[in-house]
Amino acid sequence: MKKPFRLLIIDDAEEILTALTNFFTQKKYDVVSAANGLDGLKHIESKDADFDLIITDLVLPNISGVAIISIVKKKFPDTPVIAITGWGEHPESLAKEAHADHVLEKPFKLPELEQLVKKLLNR
Amino acid sequence: MSDNSKSKTGPPIVGVSKNIVRVRELIEHVAQTGLNTVVFGESGVGKEVVAQNLYQKSPRVGKPFIKINCAALPEGLLESELFGYERGAFTGAEQRKKGKFQLAHSGVLLLDEIGDMSLSLQAKLLHVLQSGGEFSPLGSEKEVKADTWVIAATNHDLKKEIKEGKFREDLYYRLNIIKIHLSPLRERPEDIPPLIDFYIKEYTAMLNNRHIETPGAKVIDRMCTYSWPGNVRELQNVLKRMLVLGDCNQIVDEIFNSERMVSRDSGPDDELNHNASLAKIIDLGGRNSPDNQSFSLKTAKKNAVEMVEREIISHVLAKTDWNRSKASKILKISYKTLLYKISDLKIVPPEK
Repeated sequence: MKKPFRLLIIDDAEEILTALTNFFTQKKYDVVSAANGLDGLKHIESKDADFDLIITDLVLPNISGVAIISIVKKKFPDTPVIAITGWGEHPESLAKEAHADHVLEKPFKLPELEQLVKKLLNR
Repeated sequence: MSDNSKSKTGPPIVGVSKNIVRVRELIEHVAQTGLNTVVFGESGVGKEVVAQNLYQKSPRVGKPFIKINCAALPEGLLESELFGYERGAFTGAEQRKKGKFQLAHSGVLLLDEIGDMSLSLQAKLLHVLQSGGEFSPLGSEKEVKADTWVIAATNHDLKKEIKEGKFREDLYYRLNIIKIHLSPLRERPEDIPPLIDFYIKEYTAMLNNRHIETPGAKVIDRMCTYSWPGNVRELQNVLKRMLVLGDCNQIVDEIFNSERMVSRDSGPDDELNHNASLAKIIDLGGRNSPDNQSFSLKTAKKNAVEMVEREIISHVLAKTDWNRSKASKILKISYKTLLYKISDLKIVPPEK
């Protein structure tokens, strides 16, 4: 059997984190989740990390999504990162500067996000 | 103002609370990144210590660590301190002067009290951060580029200041790539014993290890229940006093007394003014001031008595629902006297 894609999802809004985790788990992805930037970064820095794609909220406690993107792009330039952001939030431009592969504005539909994930994974 | 602590190792972050453990962990993870950082926390909580720890664990250690307090300088001066100026940029600019941004090149610039920076200077700072460290000193045509790690510190609630229009939202997000929050000491009393331990060791070494009285277990217990409005800095001062003066018990008594005074001063202004001092109630500073022409003990006393009578009678009337005969019985005065006092003291029944 083919190894499932590994995703890291970081969001401090519990309901969104749970919804995204459940959705992608159902779609047979291997999902790791984190509720703040530091916990997310720890997953990224752990030895067995090798994530295929990272989805992060931009405004997070302690380490922001912008920081996560910068760090990931420095360490693993080939790992795609999708930033999700609340409507009209300033960090959107910061996320682009940090070279997020895509910035998705809330609200969005789950299938829309999955399409995006597939597109980036097949690149 | 500025601090070139090239060789000096800063103090460690002492504590066992969840907040402090988390802060240490965060520093370990982000010190390498050089991403803009804001340290939040009340005065005296140790924000600068966090900045120093970030610096020491970063690849920039050994390079300049420059600190500037944004609240201590008037706007124009702060701008020239930050960005520098050319000779002749303004009257009195006799020499070219490098700004802190440039001095901190390849090192760290700590912007303390960032919440006090004026809006126009915030705009300039934002521009520098957006351009990756480019700016032009006052009176200069040329742009200078500085590779500076900006760490800001504040005791303000910047989110609130954004709503009030006092802080730029775009600057907030630009600085706040990493956010480190230090809790006030009253929210983490478990850190007090290790802090006491740490500073006693440090101070006794400074006092040449002479035999000095140190606070015992009972005193430390009491210190753990104090609210420490001045946070770690206040704790340091109290410990220094204890070690130098001895008599730890009395010093602890004093800090608790001063705490009560403060809470009394800031107490709510309730109807009976429980919290005001007698001088305030009698209004010695205003109506009954001895400086007034009309002042005499007799009139001041009459005024004070009237005030007390009015307060007591209103209170009893309110309790009895303005049943005057019931109220007169409670007050132990005749019904007629009560009616007279109500009109004389101009006590009015509540509107129905």
